[in-house]
Amino acid sequence: MTQHAITLDVDGERYELAVEARRLLSDVLRDLGRTGVHVGCEHGVCGACTVQVDGAPMRACLLFAVQLEGQAIRTVAALGDNGGLDGLQQAFHDVHGLQCGFCTPGLLMTLDALLRERAELDEATIREVVSGHLCRCTGYDNIVEAVQLALRRRAKAA
Amino acid sequence: MSEPRAVGRALPRTEDRRFLLGQGRYLDDITIPGALEVCFVRSPHAHAEIRAIDTAAARALPGVVAVITGADLAGEITTLRMAPAITGVRPTEIAPLPSDKVRFVGDPVACVIACDRYVAEDAAELVEVDYVPLPAIASMAGAAAEDAALVDATVPHNLVAEESFSAGDPEGAFRRAAQVVEARFVQHRQTHLPIETRGIACVFDPGREHLTVHTGNQAPHPLRTALAARLGLSESQITVISPDVGGGFGQKIALLREELVVAALARRLGRPVRWREDRLENLLASLHAREETVTVQAAVDGLGRLLGLRARIEADMGAYCFFPANYMMRVVGMILPGPYRLRDYAFDLRVHLTNKCPAGPMRAPMAITSWVMEGTMDAIARALDADPVEIRRRNLLEDADLPYVTATGERYHSISSRGTMEAALDGLDYVAFRAAQAERRDRGELVGLGICNVVESTTYGSAFYKAAGIPGSGHETATVKVEPSGACSVAVGLMTSGQGYETTLAQAAAEGLGVDPGAVRVLIGNTDIAPYGMGARGSRGAAAGGGAAYLAGRRLQEKVLAIAAHLLNRNSSDGLALEAGHVMQRAGGGLQPSGLTLADIARVAFLDPLGLPDGMEPGLHVTTSYDPPPMTYSNSTHLCAIAVDRVTGMVRIERYLAAHDSGTVINPLVVEGQLHGAIAMGLSGALFEELVYDDQGQMLSGSLADYLIATATELPAIELIEHARPDAMTPLGIKGMAEGGVMGSIGAVCNAVADALAPLGICIDSQPLTPARLSALIAAAKRA
Amino acid sequence: MKPRGFTYHQPKTLDEALGLLAASDDAAVLAGGQSLVPMMNARLASPEIVVDINRLASLDAVRIEGDRLVVGALVRHESLIGHPLVQERLPLLSSMAETIAHWPIRTRGTIGGSLVHADPAAQWPLAAVLLEAEIELQSQGNARRIDAADFFEGALSTTLAAGELLTAIRFRLPSAGHGAAFRLLTRRPGDYAIAMAACVVEADRPRRLAIGGVEPRPLDRSGALDGLTTVPEMIEAACREVTPMDDPRAPADYRRRVLAQLVGDCLAEALRGQAS
Repeated sequence: MTQHAITLDVDGERYELAVEARRLLSDVLRDLGRTGVHVGCEHGVCGACTVQVDGAPMRACLLFAVQLEGQAIRTVAALGDNGGLDGLQQAFHDVHGLQCGFCTPGLLMTLDALLRERAELDEATIREVVSGHLCRCTGYDNIVEAVQLALRRRAKAA
Repeated sequence: MSEPRAVGRALPRTEDRRFLLGQGRYLDDITIPGALEVCFVRSPHAHAEIRAIDTAAARALPGVVAVITGADLAGEITTLRMAPAITGVRPTEIAPLPSDKVRFVGDPVACVIACDRYVAEDAAELVEVDYVPLPAIASMAGAAAEDAALVDATVPHNLVAEESFSAGDPEGAFRRAAQVVEARFVQHRQTHLPIETRGIACVFDPGREHLTVHTGNQAPHPLRTALAARLGLSESQITVISPDVGGGFGQKIALLREELVVAALARRLGRPVRWREDRLENLLASLHAREETVTVQAAVDGLGRLLGLRARIEADMGAYCFFPANYMMRVVGMILPGPYRLRDYAFDLRVHLTNKCPAGPMRAPMAITSWVMEGTMDAIARALDADPVEIRRRNLLEDADLPYVTATGERYHSISSRGTMEAALDGLDYVAFRAAQAERRDRGELVGLGICNVVESTTYGSAFYKAAGIPGSGHETATVKVEPSGACSVAVGLMTSGQGYETTLAQAAAEGLGVDPGAVRVLIGNTDIAPYGMGARGSRGAAAGGGAAYLAGRRLQEKVLAIAAHLLNRNSSDGLALEAGHVMQRAGGGLQPSGLTLADIARVAFLDPLGLPDGMEPGLHVTTSYDPPPMTYSNSTHLCAIAVDRVTGMVRIERYLAAHDSGTVINPLVVEGQLHGAIAMGLSGALFEELVYDDQGQMLSGSLADYLIATATELPAIELIEHARPDAMTPLGIKGMAEGGVMGSIGAVCNAVADALAPLGICIDSQPLTPARLSALIAAAKRA
Repeated sequence: MKPRGFTYHQPKTLDEALGLLAASDDAAVLAGGQSLVPMMNARLASPEIVVDINRLASLDAVRIEGDRLVVGALVRHESLIGHPLVQERLPLLSSMAETIAHWPIRTRGTIGGSLVHADPAAQWPLAAVLLEAEIELQSQGNARRIDAADFFEGALSTTLAAGELLTAIRFRLPSAGHGAAFRLLTRRPGDYAIAMAACVVEADRPRRLAIGGVEPRPLDRSGALDGLTTVPEMIEAACREVTPMDDPRAPADYRRRVLAQLVGDCLAEALRGQAS
């Protein structure tokens, strides 16, 4: 199979790679050590592999790595605050917003993008955004609460 | 001032940090240099004879290392003979890969081993299998038909298990009855759907003749036992390492064929081999669950009091028995009466083989029981035109009835079903709800309330297995260790798949030992490190695992204090305590620091053994096994208020409330999380999830666009009310919980929809409660 | 779930893309890929050549030309939600876009991809028919416009010819003060529709009503409304000659029942919204 030479920008690092065209971004990111990109369904439904491409959340399993030359890809490895938890992650921790943790990085990437766009969110909107991700453990209540807590803390700090 | 106790604190979980930073280590995250990847070739037929398998083209593809079939494995893996010493079950056998015929769509017939999964999938398409289709059995009715084809030639009538039970005098009860109420409950096929699918990675070291197995599994030691037996190795030649597990729900307990084949291939090829199931395989061919039908006849007196009950239980086992075929249904029969007074009771059960994916236990495998019993209570209320709560009050066991031995020999000593029901009804304001419902009904709205009382059998002791005639043990073992520096750990053979054991087992061990929970490291998921454990099944983690960890900690504390007494020149350790790692001594009215810490004791125990009391062994470690009582129960009452749209049939959950008695709770945050998740799974299953087969045995729900699970927009905010009564028989009064939420939510939502539609004369006797179905029922009722 | 191999091209110009499409009889256009890639991962689609049009910036534009809102094929669903021209002149499109799948899908999925995929339960084919859109198709040395009504043939089937690329869709802009509404029924928000209806009411033109998700292609039911004055009459007329698809999850009679409700709600809202 033909290998394509590409340059990927992942979490602010540049990678020169040779990849087969058919290799999914989710697999290539994992090969680059971004194992927080979880593969859950490979048809775009579960959301576990969600990453940010130029700031927008997207399913990494529905992109070919070869498509993304020059675009900024951000994975869960880029979140956090100096090796510790950032506000959203801390809120997930504090209100038990995760159990097995497999869906969590994908959710964080979508919700991180959401919190960058919006300062206030009502519960219905949060639920709507969370509904693009499947979680089999939590029943979602604590995930929704985590987002609300992160928003409240951010508003207080501002 | 002493620290708060370790048990009972809502501590955020220790394991969260790595998951939130994307640093979890799930199966795929474990790097194994040179590992080959496999892809299974699966049957497109529900039932077909295998004439020939041609692997030449696949083997010729660059990057392919080998292609193997069932015949290739015959000498390497023994067949699985499922022949438990249980009456009423026919023995069955399962080959590693079938070579004579396939029995369901997705049955694996060959395995491609290649440099990566992409190439393995390419090669799998090149394997040519010559099939001769056979008639397919796609339903229980089809399986039982007079001239039905046989799924397994050794199982006549496709009936793999059949038995009957009777206690008391059911016939007499029905003779005395003022009325006999009949009801039917049809539950549909579902699947566990962990977001991380199954998988395994195996490394065989030919020099040491040792097999290292990485696999997300809820019960690593029993898995190792099974692997050793099937591969002809000793258990000490295998290490099972369970990495972080992305959900299990029962799908990751038994040794299934794919994992077994991969382990054998690693040994055969002398190269690391790994497999990760993809989502289509997971839906099609992993394990399915819950396809059961129960019909009941209830004999009642004029007040609706239950005099006798007869139940007929039928289950669809699918194509193979990876579990004893009647095990789950026998327990369904045993626990069916739940929290109700019942002496005269009989059930019979039949388990059928069909050409569908094999069934296995899924979180709350006996979930149907609560729906059946609570649906029966509602049916009695409707037959008598009585309030369903009043009917329950007349039948529920009260505190004064305890201890109570049920018709099937279950012994309740600490349940509080009446208490949780009243607490839940108060939380809802039942009377106000009924008044509002009447008003809304007058306006034409379809509004309903479902009530479901649950008695959850959380923790099976060895005595239960023995009494039920089922092979198995309920004990669990923990090792608590203190290192020379004073560092603490607890090792348990359970494996977590999201339940938070790294936090709660630390709390239990810390409670026993007398240290801060944060000071205890939990070591799980490695068969070489943890003592043999029976695994995370049912809801046994807290009572069995937590119980063992607590007891081991307490025994180690005794040794620590004996050493402390010696060092403090006291005659005995009476009046000493270990709190947050400090040795305290009674002085005046309270406890004062003695100046000694756990680290001081550890230093002596390891590095100055001559400083120990005479005859004491050096070191600080205790391994303790704990076998819980025959059965431990938690209980809860679930209330679900819904509205059904008359046209679309869509069910909107307006309120969901559960009052629960989970006994002494190790960590309230974790318990509430378990309740949320369990309730969500039950609601999702009853309203959305459905694995559909056509009459040729083709599966029509093969993707997540077809197999729908409820998301954040469909599930309600869940209100919880704690109504705790510590267990009288277990350490610390722990009861355990994790499955009752599934039982309660299925029963509550089904009964709610039944209540909403009852004014139209509609009877809800089957799930799922899909909008199309409800809409059709409503439309038909309007026409009638 | 890994796709079969393919030859990948990422043309930088439209001409280059059209040349690649002309040269192969087994080429797939990759736009957002939110339908194509799942099919490729499941090996239900396996084109020999994949022509990735994501670098064709000229296709990623929204503009007004006369009485037409022209939306480039590469415009993402998400960017239509908040687009100022859309919000000002045709907010209906914005409210339709909001109901498509979920955010991480909408950020990538494109209007052109959705139109060519022609899923009967998708929003854009319905919008195209409702708003008397013209579909712009280009092939090497050729360009044509086709009415949306003639573009959709059936479920997952269009009159797109070999070598052709859908480059834009030209929606007719309703007059200022128009009323419009969209209703759909899904099992869960973001799922494909079981049935849907969309309606536009203008002062100086006949009412427009289209329904989707019910037959294999979107239906223009505007003609059925001619001369009718009450909503119940209109519902009856709009649903009369419809033959709904039948599948286990949404039987034909179910689609018919919910369609009547959707059409009614839609008409009522559009009529209320007109010039208010």
